[in-house]
Amino acid sequence: MNAALTFATSRRPSGDILLSAVGEIDMSNAATLAAALADAHRDASGGPVTLDLTGVEYIDSAGLAVLYPHVATLRLVATDLLAPVLTVAGLDDLTTIAD
Amino acid sequence: MSDGQFEVFAVGGDVGRDLAAVPWGTTPLGPPQDWPQSLRTAVSIMLSSRFAMWIAYGPDLTFFCNDAYRRDTLGSKYPWALGRPAHEVWAEIWHDIGPRIRTVLSTGEATWDEGLLLFLERSGYREESYHTFSYSPLHDDAGTVTGMLCVVSEDTERVIGGRRMATLRDLGSDPSVVRTEQQMLTFSAEQLGRNLKDLPFTLTYLFDGDDARLAASTGIPAGHALAPAVLTAGAKGTWPADALARQESVLVTLDDADGPPTGDWDEPPTQALVTPLLQQGGTPYGFMVAALNRFRALDDAYRGFVELAAGHVAAGIAGARSYAAQQRRAEDLAELDRAKTTFFSNISHEFRTPLTLIMGPVQDLLDRPDTSPELREELDVVHRNGLRMGRLVTTLLDFSRIEAGRMQAHYEPVDLAAATAELASVFRGAVERAGLHLTVDCPPMDRPVDIDRGMWEKVILNLLSNALKFTFTGGLTVTVRPGPDAAVVTVADTGIGIAAAEMPRLFERFHRIESARSRSNEGSGIGLALVKELVELHDGVITASSTEGVGTVFTIRMPFSSGTSSTDTSVISNAAQPFVQEALRWLPGDVVDETPLVDGVVARVLIADDNADMRDYLVRLLRSEGHRVEAVVDGQAALDAARADVPDLIISDVMMPRLDGLRLAAALRADPRTASVPVLLLSARAGQEASIEGLQAGADDYLVKPFSSAELLARVQTNVALSRLRTHHARWRTALIDSLQEAFFVCAEDGTVIEINSTFTDILGYGPEGLPYPPVHPWWPDPDTDPAGYQKVADALALLVDQPRGDYTIPVTHRDGHTLWVAATFSQVTDPGTGTKAIVGTFRDVTAEHYAVQRESALAAVAVRLSQAESTTGALHTVLPVLQELWQATHVYAAVFDGSPTPVLSTTDTLQRWDTLPAARRQALSTARDQPVLTPIADQPGGAGITLEHPDGAMVLWIELAENRPFTEHDQTLLALLAGHLNQSLHRLRQIDQQRETALALQRAILGPAQLPDGFAVRYAPATQPLKVGGDWYDTVALPDERIGLVVGDCVGHGLQAATVMGQLRSACRALLLQNTDPAQTLTALDSFAAQIPGAMCATVFCGVLDPVTGELAYSTAGHPPAVVALVDGTTDLLDEGRGRPLGVRGDVSRPEARYTMPPRATLLLYTDGLVERRRQSLNAGIDRVAATIQRGRATALEELASDVMDRMAPTAGYEDDVALLLYRQPGPLALEFTADADRLAPVRSALRGWLKQAGVDRHTAQNVLVAAGEACANAIEHGHRHGAAGLIRLHAFATGDDLRLTVIDSGSWKTPQPEINAHRGRGLQLMRALMHEVTVTTSTAGTVVGLQARILP
Repeated sequence: MNAALTFATSRRPSGDILLSAVGEIDMSNAATLAAALADAHRDASGGPVTLDLTGVEYIDSAGLAVLYPHVATLRLVATDLLAPVLTVAGLDDLTTIAD
Repeated sequence: MSDGQFEVFAVGGDVGRDLAAVPWGTTPLGPPQDWPQSLRTAVSIMLSSRFAMWIAYGPDLTFFCNDAYRRDTLGSKYPWALGRPAHEVWAEIWHDIGPRIRTVLSTGEATWDEGLLLFLERSGYREESYHTFSYSPLHDDAGTVTGMLCVVSEDTERVIGGRRMATLRDLGSDPSVVRTEQQMLTFSAEQLGRNLKDLPFTLTYLFDGDDARLAASTGIPAGHALAPAVLTAGAKGTWPADALARQESVLVTLDDADGPPTGDWDEPPTQALVTPLLQQGGTPYGFMVAALNRFRALDDAYRGFVELAAGHVAAGIAGARSYAAQQRRAEDLAELDRAKTTFFSNISHEFRTPLTLIMGPVQDLLDRPDTSPELREELDVVHRNGLRMGRLVTTLLDFSRIEAGRMQAHYEPVDLAAATAELASVFRGAVERAGLHLTVDCPPMDRPVDIDRGMWEKVILNLLSNALKFTFTGGLTVTVRPGPDAAVVTVADTGIGIAAAEMPRLFERFHRIESARSRSNEGSGIGLALVKELVELHDGVITASSTEGVGTVFTIRMPFSSGTSSTDTSVISNAAQPFVQEALRWLPGDVVDETPLVDGVVARVLIADDNADMRDYLVRLLRSEGHRVEAVVDGQAALDAARADVPDLIISDVMMPRLDGLRLAAALRADPRTASVPVLLLSARAGQEASIEGLQAGADDYLVKPFSSAELLARVQTNVALSRLRTHHARWRTALIDSLQEAFFVCAEDGTVIEINSTFTDILGYGPEGLPYPPVHPWWPDPDTDPAGYQKVADALALLVDQPRGDYTIPVTHRDGHTLWVAATFSQVTDPGTGTKAIVGTFRDVTAEHYAVQRESALAAVAVRLSQAESTTGALHTVLPVLQELWQATHVYAAVFDGSPTPVLSTTDTLQRWDTLPAARRQALSTARDQPVLTPIADQPGGAGITLEHPDGAMVLWIELAENRPFTEHDQTLLALLAGHLNQSLHRLRQIDQQRETALALQRAILGPAQLPDGFAVRYAPATQPLKVGGDWYDTVALPDERIGLVVGDCVGHGLQAATVMGQLRSACRALLLQNTDPAQTLTALDSFAAQIPGAMCATVFCGVLDPVTGELAYSTAGHPPAVVALVDGTTDLLDEGRGRPLGVRGDVSRPEARYTMPPRATLLLYTDGLVERRRQSLNAGIDRVAATIQRGRATALEELASDVMDRMAPTAGYEDDVALLLYRQPGPLALEFTADADRLAPVRSALRGWLKQAGVDRHTAQNVLVAAGEACANAIEHGHRHGAAGLIRLHAFATGDDLRLTVIDSGSWKTPQPEINAHRGRGLQLMRALMHEVTVTTSTAGTVVGLQARILP
């Protein structure tokens, strides 16, 4: 069975696309994240996309690999639990740590 | 497994899959989705348990089981049995278990059976098996009992192992070490016959030449078709005797037609194992046929048991035969002694003929009137000594006759008074010549006494000669008087008497009464003993009473005869003459029977003159006067001759070569032995000065040439007479000394020997001609070859010159080179005339006694050492130094040629090994091995050897001696004796070795195959080496509810006895825990159990039940020291609640239970008191020490920690008591195994997350571990996928106090490391390294192992 992962897409008042993920991200479902991100970017048509990872308890290198193609327009929100991983991955400059 | 209806089987692994495959629709239970919840729950619990279980459920009692049951019990019935009615599955034991199941179903109460014998058919044959099990009811959802759950543990191995151990123990329990072969076989048969289960019948055949003879049997009647008494060689017999020469066991199929006895079973055995009774280094003694239990397969354990049993019998035969051989050797020695006695008797007998032929002609010559006086004198000497020798021979013969019971007596009634009076009168002459009076008071009696005349004569003559010997004033009285029913004969003297202390030993053989004064020291010490024997042959009684200084009375009571007196009373035979002659010899004067000379004095004269004519003249002149003359050519020759045999007079010329007359006189005076010999000097020099010079030199008289013959003869006569007067006492002394049977010597102050007697010469070979003998005396041992002996003699000399009196025993060397031992006593005397000090002493040859003592003490020393040895190797190590000491050997070697390329060498030279020995020594040892056994080899200088039969092969014992040290015949005898003793002990010890090996094999069976759950480490150290078990134990029990029972216990004592008790308690505790899963109840039940086992009382036990998920531990202790928990914060908890008394010490209160929750990563230690208890230390001090050790090691992996604890707590001399310890760390390790499938990552993560929580890890660290482990797993999945079918990945994690350690192992089949295909994999490794404290990646052809370590901040 795949790791449980669900997405919700909304548009912020600013017009930015907000993609919220809930669950765990690993190599079994990284592809679904990639697809969701692609959809979000298409919806944002070049505008910034914020990926909300506060509902994500786990992300590994397979999940991170999906993020790299989008670094130019991607913003991340995450809990402190993911902070070390994102820092190691060099994504801390895109990341806002939510309380 | 996504199929919902089989969810119930999901946890069951292989069995789950096979259960899912059962066509449930065809069973009364229907498809699983229709099953009641209670059944689903029961099946689910059963499947998840690692403990063996099965379920019977529903109207047909449909069968379910789990994996453990399949493995332990079901055997080939799997998977056929699943879903079948239980009565079909267990048809063969349904009569046993059916009623029990019905009871459970009808009453709803559980059953309990321990060690029940069931014949299962699970391996293709009916198999004897033992099971401890409980049936408990299963209810359906309505509460009705519709099935049962069986929890079972199979005890087959324990029960059968115990049974076989008992047989082997009994075989080895024979208390007597030595016994005959038949006794040994009978004993063995009794023991084998008590186990008719494993050995339905046995036959022991021993080879007898080419045939084999039935020597023992069990379980089979005599004359049975399978038990022929003799198997003839070559004939095609029942048993393959010929094949056994190859020393291998042979499996024989038994024919039912022969009707093999069934032993304890109801069906006959189908096979027998025929095992050779192996002999070390030889063809087998025989073979043992062991019929086999048809209900057990012949596996290694069974085969081993039969072979050990046969080994016992073979070792017994070896011991018995070795003992018998030893016995034979001892008998041979005794036979040799008897032969010696016979030989001496015969020799004595043989002397009589030559003696007769000597005495007859001598008597004839004496009787001839033309015999000259000179010749007569010589003949008299021959005659006297011939008589004496004849008497000695007769006495010796009498004695050996009496000893052999062959004394031929001719009794006749005799008037004892007349006979005795006549005998006594024979002695009258001798008595009166001694200046004593003889009173014979023997009035005739009217009643006769039955006597053998010859014997009576010996009685009276011995008593009279004895009396004369010790009487110097007064006289002897012989009386005979009638008593009421016996004649009373007394022989009384007024002699020196006998000391009261000596009286009890008066009649003892070979005991010579030491007395201050006697006429002679002749006598063998058997005279009075012979008298007593002779009197007793007549049914008489002899007694003696004596008062020192007053006299001695011998009283003989001879019973009267019933017959009438014979007319011939004469009892005097030729035998009397020797007694009288000998007695006369004691008397002073030495003139008996000598023909009186013309002038009354005859002398032995020594003449020294260098002029031959003068010599001849003097000789002729003196001989014409009846003197005995010897002539020599100079003073030196005269001095030598005088020392060798002191003459009565020396006549010497003054002027002579070498030594002149004056110096001769001076030399003679200087020597105490010759000082008193008169010297008559002849000189051509006349004048006052010359004669004064001569007299000053010590000459007695001086005669100037020429002299008349009459003048010379007169001077001779005068000097001899004067000298006789002067030297009367000196001559008496000389006669006495020469008659001594002990060697006699006189030493000057410095130890120079200046006088000796003839016995001295007899013993040492050095005669008076060599006197004086200054130290170092020529008889001293060689300082080079026998330094110890030399030292002994040197010490003795120091004693001799320093002490006023004393005694010593020393080795000396005879002139002919042989060594003998002498015991000497000496005392200092002062010459009253000169005031000079001298030492007189005597000694006797004690060589035989010395070697006997040496032999006895060496045997005793070796026997003591051997009795303490525990193994053949130990025996050699302990005995070799004794041999080294005994022979003052430089080294002793024992080489065992056991068939290996290098012989096994034991030696007192600890630095030597076989390889380092000089080639010559190796050669000597190798050559000796082919010598006959137990025969000393002493034909090479520098050493001696002997070959033994070591159980492993020929053994050569080699004594390496100091250069030139001879190895005498005595040494060889002793070596053979000791080697024989050693040989026998080696075989006995080998038997013990074998018993010990047997015991060890079986002890392992008692300890059982404890499969430790993960996360535990245990250690076990029995106190009694070489046992592998003791009275302590540890145990872990996987309980049905996934909890784990923990037990550590300690039975009273250690050793095998305690181990036996331990084995029973351990099993019982296990069973009770399974039943109760409650520590307090378990211990309470164990109390009752302990009360029934001898030796189980007062055992202490810690019993706990641990939930490894939560760390909750329920426990109860029975008098056991508290368990220790080391926490990560550095503190320590002692589990000292829930305390109760030791087992079986009954109290009214029920046992308490305590609860404790193990904090994460805390370390639990259970132990027995042997770990912490020390003499003169409180138990608490020990507990504190072990707690500190655990605390220090909280970051150490458990196995390593267990070793550390055992090492650190061990006293320097090792543990004195059994030690058991068990360590556990909360939580137990996590072990996951999953297929290389990305979908498995989430569940693995979930399991790991749960475990991390149990391990008390903070969420950040936990997250880091999750990501790092996730990356490692993802990596492994990629490896696994790369080559088609998904492989398996294993994740293992454990915690210590301070860190977590994980490994991820993929067993992928990829061969060469390949470059990473996905770039982000590289990032995975980078992530791991960033998040973990340590990452290791090891790649091999077998797969990749990733190791992760994360420190946990306190």
